[in-house]
Amino acid sequence: MTDKILLLPIIIPLVSGAMVLLFSNRFRRAIEMISLLAASLSLLVSIRLFKENLSFSLPWLGQGLEFSLKLYHFSWFILLAIASFGFLIILYSILFMRNKAYLNQFYSYFLLTISFASGAVLADNLLIMLFFWEGLLLTLFGMIAIGNKNAFKTAIKAFIIVGITDLCMMAGIILTGHLAGTLAISKISLSLNGLGALAFIFLMIGAISKAGSMPFHTWIPDAAIDAPLPFMALVPAAFEKLLGIYFLTRISLDMFQLSPGSWVSVMLMAIGAITIVLAVMMALIQKDYKRLLSYHAISQVGYMILGIGTAVPVGIVGGLFHMINNALYKSGLFLSGGCVEKQTGSTDLRELGGIGTRMPVTFICFIITAVSISGVPPFNGFFSKELVYDGALERGWIFYAAALIGSFFTAASFLKLGHAAFLGKISEKNKGVKEAPFLMLAPMIVVTLLCVIFGLYNQLPLRHLIQPVLGGIRMEGHDFSGFPGNMKLVLATVAVLIAALLNHIWGVKTKGSGLKAVDHIHHAPILSGIYDRAEKRYFDPYDMGLKIADLAAKIAFRCDRAVDWLYDGLAVKVTFAFTRQIRKAHTGSYSAYLAWSLIGAILVAVFLIYST
Amino acid sequence: MYMTQQSMLLCAVFVPVVGAFFLPIAGRISLKFRNLFALGLVLASFIFSMSLLPVALSGKSILIARQMGMGINLIFLADGLAVFMACVSSLISAIIILYSFGYISHYDNQNEYYSMVVLFLGSMMGLVFSANLILLYIFWEITAITSWRLIGFFREKEHVLRADKAFLVTFFGAVVMLIGFISIYQTTGTFDLTPGAISNIAVLLILAGILSKSATLPFHTWLPDAGVAPSPVTALLHAAILVKIGVYVFARIFIATFTVSAFWHTAVPIIAVVSAIVSGGAALVETDLKRLIAYSTISQIGFIFFGLAVGNTMAVAGGLLYILMHGFAKAGLFLCAGIIEQNTKIRDITKLGGLITTMPVTAMAFLLCSFSVMGIPPFGGFFSKYMVFSGAISSGQLWTSAAFLIAAVLTILYLFRVFNLVFLGEPKTSRAKEGSFIMVASVAILTALSLLGGIFINYPFNFVQTIVSNLSGIIR
Repeated sequence: MTDKILLLPIIIPLVSGAMVLLFSNRFRRAIEMISLLAASLSLLVSIRLFKENLSFSLPWLGQGLEFSLKLYHFSWFILLAIASFGFLIILYSILFMRNKAYLNQFYSYFLLTISFASGAVLADNLLIMLFFWEGLLLTLFGMIAIGNKNAFKTAIKAFIIVGITDLCMMAGIILTGHLAGTLAISKISLSLNGLGALAFIFLMIGAISKAGSMPFHTWIPDAAIDAPLPFMALVPAAFEKLLGIYFLTRISLDMFQLSPGSWVSVMLMAIGAITIVLAVMMALIQKDYKRLLSYHAISQVGYMILGIGTAVPVGIVGGLFHMINNALYKSGLFLSGGCVEKQTGSTDLRELGGIGTRMPVTFICFIITAVSISGVPPFNGFFSKELVYDGALERGWIFYAAALIGSFFTAASFLKLGHAAFLGKISEKNKGVKEAPFLMLAPMIVVTLLCVIFGLYNQLPLRHLIQPVLGGIRMEGHDFSGFPGNMKLVLATVAVLIAALLNHIWGVKTKGSGLKAVDHIHHAPILSGIYDRAEKRYFDPYDMGLKIADLAAKIAFRCDRAVDWLYDGLAVKVTFAFTRQIRKAHTGSYSAYLAWSLIGAILVAVFLIYST
Repeated sequence: MYMTQQSMLLCAVFVPVVGAFFLPIAGRISLKFRNLFALGLVLASFIFSMSLLPVALSGKSILIARQMGMGINLIFLADGLAVFMACVSSLISAIIILYSFGYISHYDNQNEYYSMVVLFLGSMMGLVFSANLILLYIFWEITAITSWRLIGFFREKEHVLRADKAFLVTFFGAVVMLIGFISIYQTTGTFDLTPGAISNIAVLLILAGILSKSATLPFHTWLPDAGVAPSPVTALLHAAILVKIGVYVFARIFIATFTVSAFWHTAVPIIAVVSAIVSGGAALVETDLKRLIAYSTISQIGFIFFGLAVGNTMAVAGGLLYILMHGFAKAGLFLCAGIIEQNTKIRDITKLGGLITTMPVTAMAFLLCSFSVMGIPPFGGFFSKYMVFSGAISSGQLWTSAAFLIAAVLTILYLFRVFNLVFLGEPKTSRAKEGSFIMVASVAILTALSLLGGIFINYPFNFVQTIVSNLSGIIR
């Protein structure tokens, strides 16, 4: 097999994405067929490429800038995951997007996203990676912008947040290239001190921002409402986690040697822990299916960052395992939300309720994915969370406590979501609701089954996909597959889950409905005030940043006006004052003029004499 | 017909310079003929410049020299740097003239317009190929006179005052620069561009001229004021000719010819970064569409100076590439602004809104050109920005690079602010229609060039690499 085949995962969706854009929306079938064909071809190629070690290099710009791609044991499964999610969600979109506007743009951006994401994963040169990575900014912008009528503003918000962190990433890449003397990822090995630490932090900002961690997260809940749903299932739920965590792992393990003792490791864990707790607290009080899920998309990334930040094998394996698990159940959850939206026309929990019996398949898929995300054994989320807990506890009880608190609220909010959406009384409007069509159910069923398989047979992903990433030396002969070794941790988890269930039952009993089951937390003293302000966006770092930028801009503008005054004010005044004085000399008197001329002549004569 | 390369060089300069004076006559024959004639002159200049490309790419150069008195020799030199700049300027000018067919047809004094624009471009071509300081100065001042005429084109009192301001500031700078040239003459005994070291005083004086022409702090405020000019003229000023003169002459004098003391490799980046941040901030506050884009130009020129002044191979190449990419994108932005201004008669962005529904092509072009200015792949601006930063960091300019990162953030913010206010939200004006076909087409061409410049980056990249490697005897 020639190594040119490495170009295919990039080129197939790229070309078809460009092609789709040429069709007008009237050729719906052509657009759908091309997209589906391209996605299935990409999937076939990625399956074919699985377990192949290849590298490809093309002279490109000189100066050591080569178009080099590399496929190895880490990129195998990320590439495969990208292609699989791409395929499944395109399949889902065909019915979901059918009557929506901007169909050609949607599929085009979709395919380009697959192409750029594959490119970023395959790239073995940091500049190439940055090229694809930042290219994703455009498709992100496009996919959000074609949503509802507020979507453009949300798209701009997303673009600005991610664009600024991408600039940080660029700075990090340049610094890394400068320190290492090369941009070839596989040749970089730097230590974490001085400028190296600065480079790492810049790269890390790029990575965790892509993954959707706090404080770079605030566009995600907005996009959940404004952007088309398949986008949410594809990008924030799956691709961004895959890419962000993939890159975070690469910089932590390959390019820089992150050790458990370093302050960078503590910083990562702190970011992870804070993200877990704050985002899940926000998720808890949401009253919209999609918005609630989007906060979980943020919260879950905290577990991954926490896991990798621990810098101990069990934590890193847990973080990576959680990345793939999260991609599965989170896109599954979003897809279930899409089925509900398609069939009922709403995702507002106040209008839903009681549709579980009318949409049984969706409901079952929801239950399985929801218990997976809550970390209930024996589903996949349980196993990866246990590994993260184990790693966190090894580094400090406070991180473990944060993770455990996160678990409690995750379980509580999914009990609320499921109860409010699928159980309870059905509204008059939803009496005629039917199950979603098979084409939309199928992708959801597939990811749900994978959640079960990755839980029951966790040896499969752990032994074949994730543990090889760390390599034999770093693993120190451990094998983390199978049932968790530390029974105390398992018991603690089970206790927390039971507490969440009791909390829910108590909430329902006192407040009377599933939707209000967590109101006693929402309206608790102190918390309610914080919640109010958070809902009014007082804590949005994006808004705060814009305010600071505005202030700085006003100062700059005043400086600019001050400089302008030098020309329009001062220079004019000086000139007029000067000419007023000169004018006084022009009296019209011949004798005075003669005297001036004489003085001038003498000066010239003196100059001539002395200069020679 | 066989032409020597020397005569091609002369044609590239003098076809537009001489042709400009025949345009008013052509206008008497037929308006359409005159328009096409003007476009033909600029295109001819572009084609002649392109024909010099093979020589320039091979690292050789073409020289024409006539000895005259008093050190003022007629010397034209076509090396990589000159040919690159000539091609960029004439290509963008040609597209702007195409756009003018639609834009200027509504106004009086079209003969004057076309002849001034063509003369403007012609003197730019003369300037880039000049290898004698006095010859360069002469062309420099012709551009000042033509731009003065073009900025005050609508002849309103305020516009004329603004044109005077632009002229006075740049003229002041040019005279200071001339003194600098004379001081060089005193040390080297020639006005011809011959390598050697020059004194700090000469550098300072010449720098004043360059900064005033390229609208950099503290000589920059004439550029936003010049926004009263017709939109194609502002596009010319910002993207193709006027402000690019300063950066070109900087490259020509301080990088390609003379050696300057290391102090300037630190001082110029600081001037550039202050300029970039102050104007970037001003762009975030300004509400007049064209003034705002003018501030954006000042900010971006800071990046170009940064790349050129840092002085290592990567950064200089990045700076040159920046000239090209910024040229396409900024011309595109101004021409979009022209369409908006002409069809709504409003330039205050707070009074505009919702234009994306009625002007979809303009909106898309504006957005895509903005992406290029911000430096988002796959647009060309990405690579130029990356190279400038990369070169700067590898020569140890950490703090200035960090400050430029702030300028880059401001770029994203102010461009989205404009897009948001002008194209999104509820329409606040009566239904504005899309621009005429030819105007929209020229904007689309520039957008496409921005995109193609990024996708096929290896061609311009290799070109600037060749240029820089031929300059590398001088670069540190």
